Amino acid sequence: MAQQLVKKDDDRDDEAEYSPFMGIEKGAVLQEARVFNDPQLDARRCSQVITKLLYLLNQGETFTKTEATEVFFAVTKLFQSKDMGLRRMVYLMIKEISPSADEVIIVTSSLMKDMNSKIDMYRANAIRVLCRITDGTLLAQIERYLKQAIVDKNPVVASAALVSGIHLLQTNPEIVKRWSNEVQEAVQSRAALVQFHALGLLHQIRQNDRLAVSKLVTSLTRGTVRSPLAQCLLIRYTSQVICESGNNTQSGDRPFYDYLESCLRHKSEMVIFEAARAITELNGVTTRELTPAITVLQLFLSSSKPVLRFAAVRTLNKVAMTHPTSVTNCNIDMESLISDQNRSIATLAITTLLKTGNESSVDRLMKQITNFMSDIADEFKIVVVEAIRSLCQKFPLKYRSLMNFLSNILREEGGFEYKKAIVDSIVILIREIPDAKETGLLHLCEFIEDCEFTYLSTQILHFLGIEGPKTSDPSKYIRFVYNRVHLENATVRAGAVSTLAKFGAAVDELKPRIFVLLRRCLFDSDDEVRDRATLYLNTLGGDGSVVETDKAVKDFLFGPFDVPLVNLETSLKNYVPSEEAFDIDSVPKEVKSQPLAEKKAPGKKPTGLGAPPSGPPSTADAYQRVLSSIPEFANFGNLFKSSEPVELTEAETEYAVNVVKHIFDRHVVFQYNCTNTIPEQLLEHVIVIVDSSEADEFSEVFSKPLKSLPYDSPGQIFVAFEKPEGVATLGKFSNVLKFIVREVDPTTGEADDDGVEDEYQLEDLDIVSADYTLKVGVSNFRNAWESLGPDYERVDEYGLGPRESLAEAVNTVINLLGLQPCEGTEAVPPNSRSHTCLLSGVFIGNIKVLVRLSFGLDGPKDVAMKLTVRSEDETVSDAIHEIVASG
Amino acid sequence: MILAVLFANAEGNILIERFHGVPAEERLHWRSFLVKLGADNLKGVKNEELLVACHKSVYIVYTILGDVSIYVVGKDEYDELALSEVIFTITSAVKDVCGKPPTERRFLDKYGRICLCLDEIVWKGYLENTEKDRIKRLIRLKPPTEF
Repeated sequence: MAQQLVKKDDDRDDEAEYSPFMGIEKGAVLQEARVFNDPQLDARRCSQVITKLLYLLNQGETFTKTEATEVFFAVTKLFQSKDMGLRRMVYLMIKEISPSADEVIIVTSSLMKDMNSKIDMYRANAIRVLCRITDGTLLAQIERYLKQAIVDKNPVVASAALVSGIHLLQTNPEIVKRWSNEVQEAVQSRAALVQFHALGLLHQIRQNDRLAVSKLVTSLTRGTVRSPLAQCLLIRYTSQVICESGNNTQSGDRPFYDYLESCLRHKSEMVIFEAARAITELNGVTTRELTPAITVLQLFLSSSKPVLRFAAVRTLNKVAMTHPTSVTNCNIDMESLISDQNRSIATLAITTLLKTGNESSVDRLMKQITNFMSDIADEFKIVVVEAIRSLCQKFPLKYRSLMNFLSNILREEGGFEYKKAIVDSIVILIREIPDAKETGLLHLCEFIEDCEFTYLSTQILHFLGIEGPKTSDPSKYIRFVYNRVHLENATVRAGAVSTLAKFGAAVDELKPRIFVLLRRCLFDSDDEVRDRATLYLNTLGGDGSVVETDKAVKDFLFGPFDVPLVNLETSLKNYVPSEEAFDIDSVPKEVKSQPLAEKKAPGKKPTGLGAPPSGPPSTADAYQRVLSSIPEFANFGNLFKSSEPVELTEAETEYAVNVVKHIFDRHVVFQYNCTNTIPEQLLEHVIVIVDSSEADEFSEVFSKPLKSLPYDSPGQIFVAFEKPEGVATLGKFSNVLKFIVREVDPTTGEADDDGVEDEYQLEDLDIVSADYTLKVGVSNFRNAWESLGPDYERVDEYGLGPRESLAEAVNTVINLLGLQPCEGTEAVPPNSRSHTCLLSGVFIGNIKVLVRLSFGLDGPKDVAMKLTVRSEDETVSDAIHEIVASG
Repeated sequence: MILAVLFANAEGNILIERFHGVPAEERLHWRSFLVKLGADNLKGVKNEELLVACHKSVYIVYTILGDVSIYVVGKDEYDELALSEVIFTITSAVKDVCGKPPTERRFLDKYGRICLCLDEIVWKGYLENTEKDRIKRLIRLKPPTEF
């Protein structure tokens, strides 16, 4: 082996013949390492052996503890040699072996000697090795030398000490922080790299001291920074300072903007990009501020270097999320990037174009993307599919071409994640764009004909069962579903049986045919499939003639599973097998952490099949069921709306109570969800005393108390009020929880016989206007607006007074009205001076309402608003104006 | 942080790898991911032409030099531009040591020196030196000329 290594600079004729490391073997190399112990060191040979050791380590070879110790001890002997090349190898080798703490002592004296050597390079390397292998105690001993090294006139020594400082800051911050004076001095160094390393370390030392960072940035942005790398760091720190200092965009003098802008003209591309990115990421950046940054980024889009194209398109892609119009100028350059060799660049270009494109460019864009899709990897395809989904939500009228595109790519090859992304997108479009439903369902049907993923097939079958019967011709889906019963595995077959049953239950004319098909499933080879078929044949009942299905059966098949799975799991765990069967009604229906979970995920978008309609519809269904089970509410009619739970207690109090407001035409029902959080107490005869003295038009008609409220088992109390019919009556209610407390021994679970009467003050509760409006979106606001006509249109102008921002004013009005924002108009672009917001919904009495809000800034902070309402009833149009006037 | 520097031969075998702050169990994944990335994209690419990709929040800049493909992976402040600086330094140093874009054999012949260069360029995930002339002197323990 050694011979092979000696050969160096010969011609390349035989170069390719063999590797100098061919046949290398750890045992043999360790044997060779004995040369390190020779009294007469052969520097060249030793270097070769070290190279082989390095090669072994790089090939993933590991040394046992003994082997590593032996090598390490042997390597330390090499400090005796004065050969420079060998010494350099020794430093590297020690770092690679990383000796254990008890062995370090062997080299520390040699390294300390080198650290004080007259030869600069010994000093630099000794510092790096020492810092690699040192611990806290040793560091305290060498700290003095390190501080000197930071200000050493040799830049290599200074850099070595500074970079060591960056690493040591992680393990020994208190020591490194003492070096800040020296580091500060090094920041002023004339050597570019020293300045770069010093700036990095100084910022890390001071990162928690805002004032210090701000001073550092102020002084350096005025002075000269030599290295482009340091300049990039400075730009990052500057944008951090800008971000923390709040923005003064109203007055137009954002601090340090001039500095960032001047960096756009720097000679180094790295600095230009850093500055452009910093500008685009400024809080509330204005179009005027953005323009110079976008211009330089646009130039880089046609650069010959892929890295620059990538960096430019990546930055513009981010800008397009917040300022799509600012990026439109780059669309032509971006379109040429769709054919870029580098697929990462092409994908970024496409997704940016999808964000910035307008309705008229959709078709052209889709054509370009079709050619592109075939030659990119799945991970990129998923990004494109997601972008297309949001494009379709933005331009619902374009659903045809976008849906076609999705169905085409669904037929092509692809992995699970990719197919799932497409299916999810189609499902979301079906849910959000009514016109797209039938074509979408047929695409899904075709897909399951040849789908290799069981999960997707079952999910689609479930979805078909819910949506299929509601279409104009449900019978055309049956063939697709029944084919699954013949051609698929048991899981999919069982899913198909359930879907067939749903069609049978929902469409009476299909029932006889469905019965025939279900009967055939009774002979399936799988238990589950047969069981399901039997169950459904029995539940659907009758002999398969055309009869209307019972409501109870429909509820069973289509109703949501109104018992939270977590509660069911807990109850099943607590259930002790006995004569008495498990009673599903004993499972508490209240989800304890629900309000919290909702707070955590505000504005969560519906996510395709992964989350079947578990949101508001099912909650509403569950509420409807609970309410209809109470006879006193039976004559209240249909439930118009149930509010989100409103907390009436602080978090982590003894008793947690929240209330849901159920609105009926002539009644309001408060559902108090109570939880007792004290294990030592059992509450009995729990009632809520509601004082409605500040709600004149409401009169209490019924109250349903809770017999007992044991620890951690939620229960509900209902209080019902009568109110004037179909009118948005407002009021304020104060609440007191009254109960009898019995002490419980937590170990035995037994309660005392004697109870004490007690009460607990709850927060007040308001009935507000928004309780009488339902958020119902429209797919095309303009069409809906035109079709409602101007007959009952009411227009008025309002001064909203000084507001924090336009966005805050828009949000307040949306919340006040409780209507659904349409076409993304709830988002106010930063720094705009005017904004139009479109809302739609249904007012109590099932009256459709559309609202057009035009906001404008009147003076620096004052907001003025023009409110135009159209509805099916003039009193409702007036009522909406009243809500705003009184709010 | 520069998460990884990796050299591979034309067959995708690893010649040198340096990971920083990447858990041992994730290294295999990175190794195979990078080699596949190179196999898919580096065919026909000119020496030192930089290619770029991103995977999750991590950036990758890679290139080919003679028979050897070089990959640099970074995150946070080491974005595609900073990494292109790193890889430029690495390719310059390797060319300098080998005298030209290396064959695999030549690369292995100069293996020790290349390891030293890498030690000067990247130290535990941070860029330390950027100039090839200085690196050339440093690996022989000679002080930089400009000093």
